[in-house]
Amino acid sequence: MKIIYKKLNNILYIGIAGELDEAVAQNARDTLDSLIEEPHIKKVMLDMSELVFMDSTGIGVLLGRFKKLKARGVPLHIANPTKAVDKLLTLCGIYQYMPKVSF
Amino acid sequence: MNTKTLKRNTKTSSFCYKSGTTPDNFMSLRIEAINKNEAFARSVVAAFCASVNPTVEQLTDIKTAVSEAVTNSVVHAYNSKGGIIEINASLYARSVHIEILDSGMGIIDIATARQPFYTTRASEERSGMGFTVMESFMDELAVEAREGGGLIVKMVKHFDVSA
Repeated sequence: MKIIYKKLNNILYIGIAGELDEAVAQNARDTLDSLIEEPHIKKVMLDMSELVFMDSTGIGVLLGRFKKLKARGVPLHIANPTKAVDKLLTLCGIYQYMPKVSF
Repeated sequence: MNTKTLKRNTKTSSFCYKSGTTPDNFMSLRIEAINKNEAFARSVVAAFCASVNPTVEQLTDIKTAVSEAVTNSVVHAYNSKGGIIEINASLYARSVHIEILDSGMGIIDIATARQPFYTTRASEERSGMGFTVMESFMDELAVEAREGGGLIVKMVKHFDVSA
């Protein structure tokens, strides 16, 4: 699991790559939390185009970050999920909280 | 592990052994219940299934379901303190039967635990979707208490049906 980021026009772009499961979940939580702490962001875009595997532990990680951002009024969007991850996100109804976008 | 043990295991397992038929292939894996082994376990089972040419989506479904069951054993059954997880799989021409067994604390109310979003550990950001994912991504799912303690998760994936 690898996380990269870039801030552009007050939008925080975060790319999460590799596999997201229980073994790396705490690392993912800590890294994502330190990134989204950044003040003055109006939106977070989580790019999942290179996330090849995720299980329901990842769903918990996403919902946790979503709640933190929501408390600050910052929307979280999911960009370009892989087919495998998209199936899980759809099943769990995640897109009603974090809209799916493509770019 | 000698072949006698393997044979006995397959025969005592009614689920992993379709009645009256011999699987084309069989595997058994015993691993320490630590989260590092989740990726190992799901990769092994996926690689085991590769010989019958499943689709990429079917393989991902199997990997995800195995990952859910193994994570449950690591986190819930053994409370992240370790233990043994056993994974058996029988491969037929058009299906795979998978069993994941632990000797952990078990589940008192299995029907409730299988409900979507039910979790005993919301404070740890657990989604409670593990069994729902297994049920949705596989074609059959059974969750049973083991005699003497622990849990057994049985799953079947048919390769003809596109899920």
